Amino acid sequence: MKRSFDAIVIGAGPAGSSAALTLAKAGLDVALLERGSYPGEKNMFGGVLHRLTALEEHFPEFWNQAPLERHIVKKSLTFLTEESSFNVNFDTQASDRTPYNGYTVYRPRFDRWLADEAVKAGAKLYCGCTVEDLLREDGRITGVKVMRDGGEIKAPVVIAADGVLSFAAKKAGLRRPAFDPAQMAVGVKALIDLPKEVIDDRFGLVRDQGASNELVGCTQGVRGGGFLYTNYDSLSIGLVMHLGSLSESGKTPYDLLNSFMEQPQMAKLLKGGRLLEYSAHLVPEGGYDMVPETYGDGILVAGDAAALCIVTGLNLEGINLATHSGTLAGQAAIEAHGRKDFSKRSLSCYQRMLENSYVMQDLKLYRRTPHMLHNDRIYTQYPELLCGIMDEIYRIDGTPKDTMTKLLMRTVKDKIGLKNLLADVYSGWRAL
Amino acid sequence: MKINVDEIFDVTSFNIDREPHIVLDPQVCVGCDQRGCTNSCPARCYTWSEEDQKMTFVHDGCLECGTCYVVCHRNAFTRWTYPRGGFGVSFRMT
Repeated sequence: MKRSFDAIVIGAGPAGSSAALTLAKAGLDVALLERGSYPGEKNMFGGVLHRLTALEEHFPEFWNQAPLERHIVKKSLTFLTEESSFNVNFDTQASDRTPYNGYTVYRPRFDRWLADEAVKAGAKLYCGCTVEDLLREDGRITGVKVMRDGGEIKAPVVIAADGVLSFAAKKAGLRRPAFDPAQMAVGVKALIDLPKEVIDDRFGLVRDQGASNELVGCTQGVRGGGFLYTNYDSLSIGLVMHLGSLSESGKTPYDLLNSFMEQPQMAKLLKGGRLLEYSAHLVPEGGYDMVPETYGDGILVAGDAAALCIVTGLNLEGINLATHSGTLAGQAAIEAHGRKDFSKRSLSCYQRMLENSYVMQDLKLYRRTPHMLHNDRIYTQYPELLCGIMDEIYRIDGTPKDTMTKLLMRTVKDKIGLKNLLADVYSGWRAL
Repeated sequence: MKINVDEIFDVTSFNIDREPHIVLDPQVCVGCDQRGCTNSCPARCYTWSEEDQKMTFVHDGCLECGTCYVVCHRNAFTRWTYPRGGFGVSFRMT
């Protein structure tokens, strides 16, 4: 391996590869370091790849170039109890037209593709390369030390895109040394094999149309939620749970996931499927207040490493923020090369770019949602409330019915309490 | 269809390094009042034996998620890194 570059990017995930692609296209000599045997090997997500506006400049017809599964035309929110489900669907033709608004993907394929595009542009990709430490000269980051052979690679600027635990940001003193379990969630996922025709029939889809479903009430009171997404010929089903709450609950992620998959309405959707893979990954769910310092002397932080993730309860955004921040980090590094100044002050242009983009603006907008989502009533009482009301409305049992208002007030009083409901509506309103 | 973490190697592939990437000081775990790692770890790598008053950690089926790193409030690790390049879990399709 060559030992000196114009820039080093740690991590060939969406943020890192976007940064490397941007740098390579500008003619800079960039090393892209990946600890997996190939990009995407260590990555997992249960989610929708939202429209990646930052990459559309490089890939004008993104949907014809990237290895995608299905484009999402149907989004649902489901409140689940042990035996019933209450569903809200949004289905629009507009999502069936290009540019599509979101896709399902397999990360090993998608990440590998994006890294290959960076390589085609001239970046040098080194797989099986775990970074052990950062190199410093006069307090400035000047490169990295690689775990395998203790080798050192140098560059005037390092972009840390090394994922949710970012040891690079920690070593650079940019993030707090310990994480707050209340700001982190663990996602566990089962990949279920099912023929395309069965998925199309079950979810009411044609061609490459896909469906995504977020679920509340499937975690036995642990703060978190479930998801179900259609890939081309498989389903991704899983749970995302706040670590503080999970840890205290004494429940295990796999038992909770098994119960979720056995819930009668879910079991119907999974019927006949075969388990292909089980995976887990952390999600930085603390929002704006969790974002570390994004720049230092000779270093920039992008993607999950910078905790760039938006959770609203209806949506989970990460990869779009990762590719956008990676692209901006690349641009900031290019500007720094123009100035031949890699000091903290020079690299602060990255923070300004982030603040001028939707990345920081959306994170600020949803600053209160992580706190709102720490309300335990959401995860058991509200699903019970909604399903209870629907059950009473539809059930015919020979007894006279209440008016809707009476029914609503009675059920609210039983399950939540009027005061709590008003407080929750207010905090939800403020947060969203 | 059920996830059985004891048979994790049947569905998820690994290239196991003999050198563990996570090393625990089990003495710290003896004095811990929470042991959130035992239930939170998605791969059940941690087991606490009440009888022997002993924590056992097995790195073979580790999914490298970092849950233990975040939930351990006693910082019981003498080492917590990702596996050396090329080793560890390999998500093929996820």
